[in-house]
Amino acid sequence: MLAGLEMRRAKLRFGLLAGAVGLLVFLILFQQALFGSLLSSFTGALEHQSGTVLVYSAEARKNLAGSVILPPQQAAVTAVDGIGAAAPLGEATLTVEAGGEEANASVFGFAPGGPGEPTRLVAGRLPEGTGEAVASREDRDAGFDLGDTVTSVKGEVPLKIVGLTERSRYSVSPTLWVTFDGYTALRRAANPDAKAVLPSVMALTPAEGVSPAQLATRINDQVDGVEALTRSEAVAQSPGVAATTTSFQLILGLALVVVALVIGFFFLIITVQKLPSLVLLRAVGASTGYLVRAILVQIAAVVVGGLVIGAVLTYAGIAAASTGLPISVDVATSVALVAAVIVLALIGSLFTLVRVARLDPADVVSRQSLGGLS
Amino acid sequence: MPALELTNVRKTYTSGDAEIVALDHATLSVAEDEIVALVGPSGSGKTTLLSISGGLLTPTEGEVVVGGRDISGYSAQQLTEFRRSSVGFVFQSVNLVPFLTARENLVVVNDFGRRRGRKEARARAEKLLDELGLQRRMDNLPGQLSGGERQRVAIGRALMNEPDLVLIDEPTSALDTKLGEQVMELIVSEVKGRSTAAVIVTHDARMAHYADRTVTITDGVLAA
Ligand SMILES: Nc1ncnc2c1ncn2[C@@H]1O[C@H](COP(=O)(O)OP(=O)(O)OP(=O)(O)O)[C@@H](O)[C@H]1O
Ligand SMILES: [Mg+2]
Repeated sequence: MLAGLEMRRAKLRFGLLAGAVGLLVFLILFQQALFGSLLSSFTGALEHQSGTVLVYSAEARKNLAGSVILPPQQAAVTAVDGIGAAAPLGEATLTVEAGGEEANASVFGFAPGGPGEPTRLVAGRLPEGTGEAVASREDRDAGFDLGDTVTSVKGEVPLKIVGLTERSRYSVSPTLWVTFDGYTALRRAANPDAKAVLPSVMALTPAEGVSPAQLATRINDQVDGVEALTRSEAVAQSPGVAATTTSFQLILGLALVVVALVIGFFFLIITVQKLPSLVLLRAVGASTGYLVRAILVQIAAVVVGGLVIGAVLTYAGIAAASTGLPISVDVATSVALVAAVIVLALIGSLFTLVRVARLDPADVVSRQSLGGLS
Repeated sequence: MPALELTNVRKTYTSGDAEIVALDHATLSVAEDEIVALVGPSGSGKTTLLSISGGLLTPTEGEVVVGGRDISGYSAQQLTEFRRSSVGFVFQSVNLVPFLTARENLVVVNDFGRRRGRKEARARAEKLLDELGLQRRMDNLPGQLSGGERQRVAIGRALMNEPDLVLIDEPTSALDTKLGEQVMELIVSEVKGRSTAAVIVTHDARMAHYADRTVTITDGVLAA
Protein backbone atom coordinates (compact mmCIF):
# COMPACT_ATOMS: atom_id res chain seq x y z
CA MET A 1 0.00 0.00 0.00
CA LEU A 2 2.74 2.43 1.06
CA ALA A 3 4.84 1.78 -2.08
CA GLY A 4 1.96 2.24 -4.49
CA LEU A 5 0.67 5.40 -2.83
CA GLU A 6 4.08 7.02 -2.82
CA MET A 7 4.59 6.23 -6.49
CA ARG A 8 1.16 7.63 -7.30
CA ARG A 9 2.01 10.88 -5.50
CA ALA A 10 5.39 11.10 -7.26
CA LYS A 11 4.47 9.87 -10.75
CA LEU A 12 6.89 12.19 -12.51
CA ARG A 13 9.90 11.10 -10.47
CA PHE A 14 9.25 7.40 -10.82
CA GLY A 15 8.20 7.85 -14.45
CA LEU A 16 11.47 9.59 -15.26
CA LEU A 17 13.47 6.88 -13.54
CA ALA A 18 11.62 4.13 -15.40
CA GLY A 19 12.25 6.11 -18.59
CA ALA A 20 15.97 6.37 -17.85
CA VAL A 21 16.18 2.67 -17.07
CA GLY A 22 14.18 1.99 -20.24
CA LEU A 23 16.69 3.94 -22.35
CA LEU A 24 19.58 2.02 -20.79
CA VAL A 25 17.82 -1.28 -21.38
CA PHE A 26 17.24 -0.21 -24.98
CA LEU A 27 20.90 0.65 -25.32
CA ILE A 28 21.89 -2.76 -23.97
CA LEU A 29 19.42 -4.82 -26.02
CA PHE A 30 19.99 -2.88 -29.23
CA GLN A 31 23.75 -3.06 -28.88
CA GLN A 32 23.55 -6.74 -28.25
CA ALA A 33 21.34 -7.27 -31.31
CA LEU A 34 23.68 -5.15 -33.42
CA PHE A 35 26.66 -7.08 -32.17
CA GLY A 36 25.02 -10.41 -32.95
CA SER A 37 24.38 -9.25 -36.50
CA LEU A 38 27.88 -7.92 -36.93
CA LEU A 39 29.32 -11.19 -35.68
CA SER A 40 27.14 -13.19 -38.05
CA SER A 41 28.46 -11.02 -40.89
CA PHE A 42 32.00 -11.87 -39.82
CA THR A 43 31.72 -15.60 -39.26
CA GLY A 44 28.12 -16.59 -40.03
CA ALA A 45 29.36 -18.79 -42.87
CA LEU A 46 31.43 -20.91 -40.50
CA GLU A 47 28.66 -21.04 -37.93
CA HIS A 48 25.99 -22.07 -40.41
CA GLN A 49 27.68 -24.83 -42.39
CA SER A 50 27.16 -28.49 -41.58
CA GLY A 51 30.72 -29.54 -40.62
CA THR A 52 31.01 -29.70 -36.83
CA VAL A 53 34.80 -30.03 -36.94
CA LEU A 54 37.03 -27.92 -39.20
CA VAL A 55 40.65 -28.85 -39.90
CA TYR A 56 42.99 -25.94 -40.73
CA SER A 57 46.62 -26.08 -41.67
CA ALA A 58 48.69 -25.34 -38.58
CA GLU A 59 50.49 -22.32 -40.03
CA ALA A 60 47.15 -20.67 -40.88
CA ARG A 61 46.63 -19.76 -37.20
CA LYS A 62 42.88 -20.34 -37.43
CA ASN A 63 42.61 -17.93 -40.35
CA LEU A 64 40.53 -19.40 -43.16
CA ALA A 65 42.22 -17.19 -45.78
CA GLY A 66 45.68 -18.50 -44.89
CA SER A 67 44.79 -22.17 -44.68
CA VAL A 68 45.56 -24.82 -47.30
CA ILE A 69 45.21 -28.56 -46.76
CA LEU A 70 47.71 -30.56 -48.82
CA PRO A 71 46.76 -34.00 -50.21
CA PRO A 72 48.96 -35.99 -47.73
CA GLN A 73 47.39 -34.11 -44.81
CA GLN A 74 43.96 -34.80 -46.29
CA ALA A 75 44.79 -38.48 -46.37
CA ALA A 76 46.17 -38.46 -42.81
CA VAL A 77 43.11 -36.69 -41.45
CA THR A 78 40.63 -38.99 -43.17
CA ALA A 79 42.51 -41.98 -41.72
CA VAL A 80 41.78 -40.88 -38.13
CA ASP A 81 39.31 -43.09 -36.29
CA GLY A 82 35.90 -41.63 -35.46
CA ILE A 83 35.12 -39.62 -38.59
CA GLY A 84 31.57 -39.94 -39.86
CA ALA A 85 31.98 -37.87 -42.99
CA ALA A 86 34.68 -35.65 -44.45
CA ALA A 87 34.65 -33.18 -47.32
CA PRO A 88 36.86 -30.39 -48.65
CA LEU A 89 35.80 -26.82 -48.07
CA GLY A 90 37.41 -24.03 -50.07
CA GLU A 91 37.21 -20.30 -49.46
CA ALA A 92 38.54 -17.47 -51.59
CA THR A 93 37.84 -13.79 -52.02
CA LEU A 94 37.07 -13.06 -55.66
CA THR A 95 36.05 -9.91 -57.49
CA VAL A 96 32.63 -10.36 -59.03
CA GLU A 97 30.42 -8.17 -61.10
CA ALA A 98 26.93 -8.01 -59.64
CA GLY A 99 24.16 -5.60 -60.59
CA GLY A 100 26.51 -3.71 -62.87
CA GLU A 101 29.14 -3.08 -60.18
CA GLU A 102 32.25 -4.87 -59.06
CA ALA A 103 32.42 -6.18 -55.54
CA ASN A 104 34.64 -8.47 -53.52
CA ALA A 105 32.75 -11.60 -52.66
CA SER A 106 33.70 -14.44 -50.40
CA VAL A 107 33.23 -17.68 -52.30
CA PHE A 108 32.86 -21.03 -50.52
CA GLY A 109 33.26 -24.31 -52.40
CA PHE A 110 31.59 -27.25 -50.68
CA ALA A 111 30.87 -30.85 -51.57
CA PRO A 112 27.09 -31.24 -52.03
CA GLY A 113 25.75 -33.77 -49.54
CA GLY A 114 28.93 -33.65 -47.44
CA PRO A 115 29.89 -31.65 -44.36
CA GLY A 116 30.41 -27.97 -45.16
CA GLU A 117 27.05 -27.37 -46.80
CA PRO A 118 25.26 -24.12 -45.89
CA THR A 119 22.51 -24.85 -43.35
CA ARG A 120 20.51 -21.64 -43.45
CA LEU A 121 18.97 -21.81 -46.90
CA VAL A 122 15.91 -19.52 -46.83
CA ALA A 123 14.98 -19.44 -50.53
CA GLY A 124 15.61 -21.53 -53.65
CA ARG A 125 17.90 -24.58 -53.55
CA LEU A 126 21.56 -25.49 -53.23
CA PRO A 127 23.75 -25.30 -56.38
CA GLU A 128 23.90 -28.45 -58.48
CA GLY A 129 26.14 -27.63 -61.47
CA THR A 130 29.29 -25.56 -61.77
CA GLY A 131 27.45 -22.47 -63.03
CA GLU A 132 25.17 -22.12 -60.00
CA ALA A 133 25.59 -20.43 -56.65
CA VAL A 134 23.74 -19.67 -53.44
CA ALA A 135 24.14 -16.08 -52.20
CA SER A 136 23.68 -14.29 -48.89
CA ARG A 137 20.18 -12.84 -48.79
CA GLU A 138 21.46 -9.76 -46.99
CA ASP A 139 23.07 -8.69 -50.28
CA ARG A 140 20.06 -9.30 -52.53
CA ASP A 141 19.67 -5.59 -53.30
CA ALA A 142 23.25 -5.44 -54.54
CA GLY A 143 22.62 -7.80 -57.44
CA PHE A 144 22.75 -11.07 -55.51
CA ASP A 145 19.04 -11.85 -55.59
CA LEU A 146 17.43 -15.10 -56.67
CA GLY A 147 17.61 -15.37 -60.47
CA ASP A 148 20.39 -12.79 -60.82
CA THR A 149 23.64 -13.71 -62.54
CA VAL A 150 26.94 -12.59 -61.11
CA THR A 151 30.20 -12.88 -63.01
CA SER A 152 33.63 -13.63 -61.63
CA VAL A 153 35.66 -10.83 -63.16
CA LYS A 154 38.94 -12.72 -63.66
CA GLY A 155 38.06 -15.38 -66.21
CA GLU A 156 34.55 -14.17 -66.89
CA VAL A 157 32.74 -17.09 -65.27
CA PRO A 158 28.99 -16.48 -64.86
CA LEU A 159 27.16 -17.80 -61.81
CA LYS A 160 23.39 -18.02 -61.59
CA ILE A 161 21.94 -17.42 -58.10
CA VAL A 162 19.64 -20.36 -57.36
CA GLY A 163 19.23 -19.98 -53.60
CA LEU A 164 19.65 -17.56 -50.68
CA THR A 165 21.12 -18.04 -47.21
CA GLU A 166 20.57 -16.06 -44.04
CA ARG A 167 23.15 -15.04 -41.39
CA SER A 168 25.79 -16.92 -43.36
CA ARG A 169 28.10 -14.17 -44.58
CA TYR A 170 31.83 -14.16 -44.17
CA SER A 171 34.23 -11.23 -43.61
CA VAL A 172 31.34 -8.76 -43.92
CA SER A 173 31.24 -9.44 -47.68
CA PRO A 174 28.62 -10.81 -50.04
CA THR A 175 29.05 -14.55 -49.72
CA LEU A 176 28.55 -17.13 -52.46
CA TRP A 177 28.32 -20.88 -51.99
CA VAL A 178 29.24 -23.03 -55.01
CA THR A 179 29.97 -26.73 -55.46
CA PHE A 180 33.59 -27.70 -54.95
CA ASP A 181 33.83 -28.39 -58.69
CA GLY A 182 32.44 -24.96 -59.40
CA TYR A 183 34.98 -23.53 -56.96
CA THR A 184 37.82 -25.33 -58.75
CA ALA A 185 36.61 -23.94 -62.08
CA LEU A 186 36.44 -20.39 -60.70
CA ARG A 187 39.95 -20.56 -59.25
CA ARG A 188 41.35 -22.05 -62.42
CA ALA A 189 39.73 -19.39 -64.59
CA ALA A 190 41.06 -16.65 -62.32
CA ASN A 191 44.57 -18.07 -62.29
CA PRO A 192 45.22 -20.37 -65.28
CA ASP A 193 48.81 -21.11 -64.10
CA ALA A 194 47.68 -22.70 -60.83
CA LYS A 195 48.44 -26.41 -60.76
CA ALA A 196 45.80 -27.79 -58.43
CA VAL A 197 43.03 -26.15 -56.46
CA LEU A 198 43.34 -27.30 -52.85
CA PRO A 199 40.70 -27.02 -50.13
CA SER A 200 41.21 -24.37 -47.45
CA VAL A 201 39.97 -26.62 -44.68
CA MET A 202 38.47 -30.06 -44.22
CA ALA A 203 34.91 -30.11 -42.95
CA LEU A 204 34.08 -33.15 -40.83
CA THR A 205 31.28 -34.68 -38.88
CA PRO A 206 32.16 -37.27 -36.22
CA ALA A 207 30.97 -40.85 -36.27
CA GLU A 208 28.16 -41.84 -33.95
CA GLY A 209 29.23 -41.82 -30.29
CA VAL A 210 32.11 -39.40 -30.86
CA SER A 211 31.71 -35.73 -29.95
CA PRO A 212 33.14 -32.97 -32.16
CA ALA A 213 35.53 -31.99 -29.36
CA GLN A 214 36.80 -35.59 -29.00
CA LEU A 215 37.33 -35.86 -32.74
CA ALA A 216 39.22 -32.56 -32.86
CA THR A 217 41.49 -33.70 -30.02
CA ARG A 218 42.18 -37.00 -31.77
CA ILE A 219 43.14 -35.29 -35.02
CA ASN A 220 45.38 -32.81 -33.22
CA ASP A 221 47.09 -35.71 -31.42
CA GLN A 222 47.55 -37.90 -34.48
CA VAL A 223 48.14 -35.61 -37.47
CA ASP A 224 51.06 -33.20 -37.76
CA GLY A 225 50.78 -29.84 -39.49
CA VAL A 226 47.03 -29.39 -39.01
CA GLU A 227 44.85 -27.82 -36.36
CA ALA A 228 41.37 -29.22 -35.83
CA LEU A 229 38.74 -26.99 -34.21
CA THR A 230 35.12 -27.56 -33.35
CA ARG A 231 32.74 -25.34 -35.25
CA SER A 232 32.12 -23.05 -32.27
CA GLU A 233 35.87 -22.77 -31.59
CA ALA A 234 36.46 -21.93 -35.22
CA VAL A 235 33.87 -19.13 -34.97
CA ALA A 236 35.09 -17.73 -31.66
CA GLN A 237 38.78 -17.90 -32.61
CA SER A 238 38.47 -16.42 -36.07
CA PRO A 239 40.80 -13.45 -36.51
CA GLY A 240 39.41 -10.32 -34.83
CA VAL A 241 36.37 -12.03 -33.34
CA ALA A 242 37.80 -12.46 -29.86
CA ALA A 243 38.94 -8.82 -29.70
CA THR A 244 35.58 -7.56 -31.00
CA THR A 245 33.68 -9.76 -28.57
CA THR A 246 35.78 -8.52 -25.66
CA SER A 247 35.19 -4.86 -26.46
CA PHE A 248 31.46 -5.38 -26.93
CA GLN A 249 31.22 -7.26 -23.68
CA LEU A 250 33.06 -4.44 -21.97
CA ILE A 251 30.60 -1.85 -23.29
CA LEU A 252 27.69 -4.10 -22.35
CA GLY A 253 29.12 -4.59 -18.86
CA LEU A 254 29.55 -0.85 -18.42
CA ALA A 255 25.96 -0.22 -19.47
CA LEU A 256 24.79 -2.78 -16.92
CA VAL A 257 26.86 -1.14 -14.19
CA VAL A 258 25.30 2.21 -15.13
CA VAL A 259 21.83 0.64 -14.71
CA ALA A 260 22.77 -0.55 -11.23
CA LEU A 261 24.20 2.84 -10.27
CA VAL A 262 21.25 4.85 -11.60
CA ILE A 263 18.73 2.71 -9.75
CA GLY A 264 20.91 2.55 -6.64
CA PHE A 265 21.46 6.30 -6.41
CA PHE A 266 17.84 7.12 -7.11
CA PHE A 267 16.55 4.92 -4.32
CA LEU A 268 19.25 6.10 -1.97
CA ILE A 269 18.28 9.73 -2.58
CA ILE A 270 14.52 9.29 -2.26
CA THR A 271 15.02 7.10 0.82
CA VAL A 272 17.27 9.61 2.56
CA GLN A 273 14.70 12.30 1.79
CA LYS A 274 11.93 10.36 3.48
CA LEU A 275 13.93 8.97 6.37
CA PRO A 276 11.88 10.93 8.96
CA SER A 277 8.71 9.29 7.62
CA LEU A 278 10.27 5.85 7.70
CA VAL A 279 11.42 6.35 11.29
CA LEU A 280 7.92 7.52 12.20
CA LEU A 281 6.39 4.42 10.64
CA ARG A 282 8.85 2.20 12.52
CA ALA A 283 7.92 4.02 15.74
CA VAL A 284 4.20 3.42 15.30
CA GLY A 285 4.67 -0.28 14.62
CA ALA A 286 5.86 -0.95 11.06
CA SER A 287 8.37 -3.78 10.97
CA THR A 288 11.65 -3.53 9.08
CA GLY A 289 10.30 -6.15 6.68
CA TYR A 290 7.29 -3.99 5.89
CA LEU A 291 9.44 -1.03 4.86
CA VAL A 292 11.96 -3.17 2.96
CA ARG A 293 9.12 -4.85 1.08
CA ALA A 294 7.69 -1.45 0.15
CA ILE A 295 11.04 -0.43 -1.36
CA LEU A 296 11.41 -3.77 -3.17
CA VAL A 297 7.97 -3.29 -4.70
CA GLN A 298 9.07 0.11 -5.99
CA ILE A 299 12.31 -1.30 -7.39
CA ALA A 300 10.35 -4.06 -9.11
CA ALA A 301 7.94 -1.50 -10.57
CA VAL A 302 10.78 0.64 -11.90
CA VAL A 303 12.65 -2.35 -13.35
CA VAL A 304 9.55 -3.82 -15.00
CA GLY A 305 8.57 -0.39 -16.35
CA GLY A 306 12.11 0.13 -17.65
CA LEU A 307 12.20 -3.29 -19.27
CA VAL A 308 8.88 -2.71 -21.03
CA ILE A 309 10.02 0.70 -22.29
CA GLY A 310 13.39 -0.77 -23.33
CA ALA A 311 11.79 -3.69 -25.16
CA VAL A 312 9.38 -1.41 -27.04
CA LEU A 313 12.23 0.93 -28.03
CA THR A 314 14.38 -1.99 -29.15
CA TYR A 315 11.56 -3.38 -31.25
CA ALA A 316 10.96 0.03 -32.81
CA GLY A 317 14.67 0.59 -33.29
CA ILE A 318 15.16 -2.70 -35.11
CA ALA A 319 12.17 -2.01 -37.34
CA ALA A 320 13.55 1.45 -38.16
CA ALA A 321 17.13 0.29 -38.77
CA SER A 322 16.28 -2.48 -41.23
CA THR A 323 18.81 -1.24 -43.78
CA GLY A 324 22.47 -2.24 -43.80
CA LEU A 325 23.21 -4.89 -41.25
CA PRO A 326 20.38 -7.30 -40.69
CA ILE A 327 19.42 -7.07 -37.03
CA SER A 328 17.60 -9.66 -35.01
CA VAL A 329 17.33 -10.26 -31.30
CA ASP A 330 18.79 -13.36 -29.77
CA VAL A 331 16.18 -14.51 -27.24
CA ALA A 332 18.46 -16.44 -24.85
CA THR A 333 20.96 -13.59 -24.59
CA SER A 334 18.17 -11.05 -24.10
CA VAL A 335 16.68 -13.09 -21.26
CA ALA A 336 20.11 -13.29 -19.64
CA LEU A 337 20.54 -9.52 -19.97
CA VAL A 338 17.11 -8.86 -18.46
CA ALA A 339 17.99 -11.12 -15.52
CA ALA A 340 21.27 -9.24 -15.15
CA VAL A 341 19.40 -5.91 -15.03
CA ILE A 342 17.13 -7.23 -12.26
CA VAL A 343 20.00 -8.61 -10.19
CA LEU A 344 22.08 -5.44 -10.65
CA ALA A 345 19.12 -3.24 -9.67
CA LEU A 346 18.93 -5.18 -6.41
CA ILE A 347 22.68 -4.93 -5.84
CA GLY A 348 22.55 -1.20 -6.56
CA SER A 349 19.80 -0.78 -3.98
CA LEU A 350 21.46 -2.93 -1.34
CA PHE A 351 22.97 0.07 0.42
CA THR A 352 19.54 1.69 0.68
CA LEU A 353 17.92 -1.49 1.95
CA VAL A 354 20.60 -1.91 4.61
CA ARG A 355 20.15 1.73 5.61
CA VAL A 356 16.40 1.15 6.06
CA ALA A 357 16.94 -2.09 7.97
CA ARG A 358 19.22 -0.25 10.41
CA LEU A 359 16.71 2.51 11.28
CA ASP A 360 16.22 3.10 14.99
CA PRO A 361 12.57 3.87 15.75
CA ALA A 362 13.62 5.79 18.87
CA ASP A 363 15.05 8.45 16.53
CA VAL A 364 11.50 9.72 16.19
CA VAL A 365 11.99 11.44 19.56
CA SER A 366 15.70 12.18 19.50
CA ARG A 367 16.05 12.67 15.75
CA GLN A 368 19.77 13.01 15.99
CA SER A 369 20.75 10.90 13.04
CA LEU A 370 17.95 11.83 10.67
CA GLY A 371 18.79 13.27 7.33
CA GLY A 372 22.37 12.12 7.30
CA LEU A 373 23.77 8.91 5.89
CA SER A 374 25.24 7.66 9.14
CA MET B 1 -5.19 -4.30 36.27
CA PRO B 2 -3.50 -0.91 35.64
CA ALA B 3 -2.94 0.14 32.05
CA LEU B 4 0.61 1.27 32.80
CA GLU B 5 2.88 0.45 35.67
CA LEU B 6 6.39 1.86 35.91
CA THR B 7 8.47 0.61 38.83
CA ASN B 8 11.79 2.23 39.72
CA VAL B 9 12.52 3.12 36.11
CA ARG B 10 15.86 4.77 35.51
CA LYS B 11 17.15 6.04 32.19
CA THR B 12 20.60 7.46 31.69
CA TYR B 13 22.26 8.77 28.54
CA THR B 14 25.99 8.92 28.17
CA SER B 15 27.36 11.72 26.07
CA GLY B 16 31.14 11.66 26.08
CA ASP B 17 32.12 10.75 29.63
CA ALA B 18 29.24 12.69 31.19
CA GLU B 19 26.21 10.73 32.35
CA ILE B 20 22.84 12.42 31.97
CA VAL B 21 20.07 11.05 34.20
CA ALA B 22 16.87 11.63 32.22
CA LEU B 23 14.65 9.56 34.55
CA ASP B 24 15.49 8.77 38.15
CA HIS B 25 13.68 5.86 39.82
CA ALA B 26 10.33 6.82 38.39
CA THR B 27 7.35 4.90 39.72
CA LEU B 28 3.93 5.53 38.23
CA SER B 29 0.66 3.64 37.92
CA VAL B 30 -2.08 4.64 35.49
CA ALA B 31 -5.48 2.96 35.84
CA GLU B 32 -7.38 1.42 32.95
CA ASP B 33 -9.45 4.46 31.94
CA GLU B 34 -7.44 7.16 33.61
CA ILE B 35 -6.01 10.28 31.96
CA VAL B 36 -2.80 11.51 33.52
CA ALA B 37 -1.25 14.86 32.70
CA LEU B 38 2.53 14.91 32.88
CA VAL B 39 3.77 18.43 33.56
CA GLY B 40 7.32 19.66 33.81
CA PRO B 41 9.86 22.09 32.46
CA SER B 42 11.81 21.54 29.29
CA GLY B 43 14.43 18.82 29.57
CA SER B 44 12.84 17.30 32.67
CA GLY B 45 12.37 13.86 31.11
CA LYS B 46 8.78 13.91 29.89
CA THR B 47 9.46 12.58 26.40
CA THR B 48 11.83 9.99 27.85
CA LEU B 49 9.12 8.70 30.18
CA LEU B 50 6.61 8.41 27.32
CA SER B 51 9.12 6.67 25.06
CA ILE B 52 9.89 4.08 27.71
CA SER B 53 6.20 3.51 28.46
CA GLY B 54 5.48 2.98 24.76
CA GLY B 55 8.33 0.60 24.01
CA LEU B 56 10.37 3.04 21.95
CA LEU B 57 13.23 3.20 24.42
CA THR B 58 14.36 0.54 26.83
CA PRO B 59 14.99 1.59 30.43
CA THR B 60 18.47 1.38 31.92
CA GLU B 61 16.93 -0.08 35.09
CA GLY B 62 13.44 -0.88 36.36
CA GLU B 63 10.27 -2.58 35.19
CA VAL B 64 7.67 -1.48 32.64
CA VAL B 65 4.33 -3.29 32.56
CA VAL B 66 1.66 -2.28 30.06
CA GLY B 67 -1.74 -3.94 30.19
CA GLY B 68 -0.24 -6.79 32.20
CA ARG B 69 2.65 -7.39 29.77
CA ASP B 70 6.13 -6.83 31.16
CA ILE B 71 7.93 -5.25 28.22
CA SER B 72 11.22 -4.58 30.03
CA GLY B 73 12.93 -7.57 28.48
CA TYR B 74 11.32 -7.48 25.03
CA SER B 75 13.39 -7.85 21.87
CA ALA B 76 13.29 -5.20 19.15
CA GLN B 77 10.80 -7.30 17.18
CA GLN B 78 8.54 -7.86 20.16
CA LEU B 79 8.61 -4.13 20.86
CA THR B 80 7.60 -3.36 17.27
CA GLU B 81 4.63 -5.67 17.57
CA PHE B 82 3.80 -4.18 20.98
CA ARG B 83 3.86 -0.62 19.62
CA ARG B 84 1.69 -1.68 16.70
CA SER B 85 -0.99 -3.41 18.73
CA SER B 86 -1.07 -1.82 22.18
CA VAL B 87 0.11 1.78 22.00
CA GLY B 88 -1.06 4.92 20.29
CA PHE B 89 1.55 7.64 19.94
CA VAL B 90 1.30 11.34 19.20
CA PHE B 91 4.85 12.68 18.97
CA GLN B 92 6.17 16.10 19.73
CA SER B 93 7.36 16.86 16.18
CA VAL B 94 7.20 14.50 13.18
CA ASN B 95 3.81 12.87 13.16
CA LEU B 96 2.49 12.38 9.66
CA VAL B 97 3.83 10.89 6.47
CA PRO B 98 3.85 13.79 4.01
CA PHE B 99 3.03 11.77 0.90
CA LEU B 100 -0.06 10.13 2.45
CA THR B 101 -3.43 11.85 2.82
CA ALA B 102 -5.07 12.28 6.22
CA ARG B 103 -7.09 9.11 5.70
CA GLU B 104 -4.10 7.14 4.44
CA ASN B 105 -2.03 8.21 7.45
CA LEU B 106 -4.59 6.36 9.56
CA VAL B 107 -5.16 3.37 7.29
CA VAL B 108 -1.43 2.68 6.92
CA VAL B 109 -1.01 1.62 10.56
CA ASN B 110 -3.63 -1.06 10.00
CA ASP B 111 -1.63 -2.24 6.99
CA PHE B 112 1.41 -3.14 9.16
CA GLY B 113 -0.45 -5.83 11.03
CA ARG B 114 -3.47 -6.48 8.82
CA ARG B 115 -5.82 -6.58 11.76
CA ARG B 116 -8.80 -5.50 9.72
CA GLY B 117 -9.74 -5.80 6.10
CA ARG B 118 -9.12 -2.81 3.88
CA LYS B 119 -12.72 -1.65 3.72
CA GLU B 120 -13.19 -1.96 7.45
CA ALA B 121 -9.98 -0.03 8.14
CA ARG B 122 -11.04 2.69 5.76
CA ALA B 123 -14.43 2.93 7.44
CA ARG B 124 -12.83 3.18 10.87
CA ALA B 125 -10.37 5.85 9.70
CA GLU B 126 -13.24 7.88 8.27
CA LYS B 127 -15.27 7.54 11.46
CA LEU B 128 -12.34 8.73 13.58
CA LEU B 129 -11.54 11.68 11.31
CA ASP B 130 -15.22 12.57 11.28
CA GLU B 131 -15.28 12.64 15.09
CA LEU B 132 -12.18 14.81 15.04
CA GLY B 133 -13.93 17.30 12.78
CA LEU B 134 -11.93 16.45 9.68
CA GLN B 135 -14.66 15.00 7.47
CA ARG B 136 -13.79 17.49 4.70
CA ARG B 137 -10.03 17.08 5.05
CA MET B 138 -9.66 13.32 4.57
CA ASP B 139 -8.14 13.50 1.11
CA ASN B 140 -5.73 16.31 1.89
CA LEU B 141 -2.02 15.78 2.26
CA PRO B 142 -0.46 16.98 5.55
CA GLY B 143 1.10 19.92 3.70
CA GLN B 144 -2.40 21.17 2.92
CA LEU B 145 -3.55 21.06 6.56
CA SER B 146 -3.20 23.60 9.36
CA GLY B 147 -1.15 22.81 12.48
CA GLY B 148 -4.27 22.05 14.52
CA GLU B 149 -5.68 19.81 11.79
CA ARG B 150 -2.40 17.90 11.57
CA GLN B 151 -2.43 17.47 15.34
CA ARG B 152 -5.94 16.01 15.12
CA VAL B 153 -4.97 13.64 12.31
CA ALA B 154 -2.12 12.41 14.52
CA ILE B 155 -4.59 11.79 17.35
CA GLY B 156 -6.76 9.80 14.97
CA ARG B 157 -3.72 7.78 13.92
CA ALA B 158 -2.93 7.07 17.58
CA LEU B 159 -6.44 5.72 18.16
CA MET B 160 -6.64 3.74 14.90
CA ASN B 161 -5.51 0.36 16.21
CA GLU B 162 -7.60 0.56 19.43
CA PRO B 163 -4.61 0.78 21.78
CA ASP B 164 -4.64 0.04 25.50
CA LEU B 165 -2.54 3.08 26.18
CA VAL B 166 -2.38 6.43 24.38
CA LEU B 167 0.76 8.51 24.82
CA ILE B 168 0.55 12.12 23.70
CA ASP B 169 3.55 14.45 23.72
CA GLU B 170 2.90 18.21 23.82
CA PRO B 171 -0.35 18.22 21.85
CA THR B 172 -0.89 21.95 22.29
CA SER B 173 2.55 23.55 22.18
CA ALA B 174 2.19 24.56 18.54
CA LEU B 175 -1.32 25.91 19.05
CA ASP B 176 -2.76 29.07 20.60
CA THR B 177 -4.64 28.74 23.88
CA LYS B 178 -8.11 28.50 22.40
CA LEU B 179 -7.19 25.87 19.81
CA GLY B 180 -5.10 24.12 22.47
CA GLU B 181 -8.12 23.83 24.73
CA GLN B 182 -10.24 22.51 21.84
CA VAL B 183 -7.69 19.84 21.05
CA MET B 184 -7.43 18.85 24.72
CA GLU B 185 -11.22 18.55 24.93
CA LEU B 186 -11.20 16.39 21.86
CA ILE B 187 -8.51 14.13 23.26
CA VAL B 188 -10.35 13.76 26.55
CA SER B 189 -13.66 12.91 24.88
CA GLU B 190 -12.05 10.46 22.44
CA VAL B 191 -10.04 8.72 25.14
CA LYS B 192 -12.82 8.66 27.73
CA GLY B 193 -15.35 7.47 25.17
CA ARG B 194 -13.18 4.40 24.53
CA SER B 195 -12.18 3.91 28.20
CA THR B 196 -8.56 3.93 27.18
CA ALA B 197 -5.76 5.08 29.50
CA ALA B 198 -3.73 8.09 28.43
CA VAL B 199 -0.65 10.01 29.47
CA ILE B 200 -0.59 13.52 28.10
CA VAL B 201 2.55 15.60 28.30
CA THR B 202 2.36 19.35 28.55
CA HIS B 203 4.39 22.07 30.15
CA ASP B 204 1.36 24.30 30.24
CA ALA B 205 -0.40 23.93 33.62
CA ARG B 206 -3.62 25.37 32.13
CA MET B 207 -4.01 22.29 29.95
CA ALA B 208 -3.58 19.92 32.88
CA HIS B 209 -7.04 20.38 34.38
CA TYR B 210 -8.54 18.33 31.55
CA ALA B 211 -6.91 15.24 33.07
CA ASP B 212 -8.03 13.10 36.01
CA ARG B 213 -4.71 13.61 37.72
CA THR B 214 -1.55 15.63 37.25
CA VAL B 215 1.95 14.28 37.80
CA THR B 216 4.86 16.68 37.93
CA ILE B 217 8.35 15.83 36.78
CA THR B 218 11.47 17.82 37.61
CA ASP B 219 14.96 16.74 36.54
CA GLY B 220 13.80 13.21 35.99
CA VAL B 221 12.08 12.86 39.36
CA LEU B 222 8.31 12.34 39.58
CA ALA B 223 6.10 14.01 42.19
CA ALA B 224 2.35 13.63 42.45
N1 LIG C 1 19.40 10.76 22.95
C1 LIG C 1 19.80 11.51 24.00
N2 LIG C 1 21.10 11.56 24.31
C2 LIG C 1 21.53 12.30 25.36
N3 LIG C 1 20.73 12.98 26.14
C3 LIG C 1 19.41 12.97 25.89
C4 LIG C 1 18.88 12.23 24.81
N4 LIG C 1 17.54 12.39 24.77
C5 LIG C 1 17.24 13.20 25.81
N5 LIG C 1 18.38 13.54 26.48
C6 LIG C 1 18.42 14.38 27.69
O1 LIG C 1 17.57 13.82 28.64
C7 LIG C 1 16.87 14.83 29.33
C8 LIG C 1 15.38 14.60 29.23
O2 LIG C 1 14.97 14.79 27.87
P1 LIG C 1 13.47 14.72 27.40
O3 LIG C 1 13.45 14.82 25.93
O4 LIG C 1 12.79 13.57 28.02
O5 LIG C 1 12.90 16.09 28.01
P2 LIG C 1 11.45 16.73 27.87
O6 LIG C 1 10.90 16.83 29.25
O7 LIG C 1 10.64 15.98 26.90
O8 LIG C 1 11.77 18.16 27.32
P3 LIG C 1 10.88 19.09 26.35
O9 LIG C 1 9.78 19.65 27.16
O10 LIG C 1 11.84 20.15 25.92
O11 LIG C 1 10.42 18.25 25.25
C9 LIG C 1 17.33 16.16 28.74
O12 LIG C 1 18.32 16.69 29.59
C10 LIG C 1 17.93 15.76 27.41
O13 LIG C 1 18.97 16.64 27.08
MG1 LIG D 1 9.83 16.34 25.06
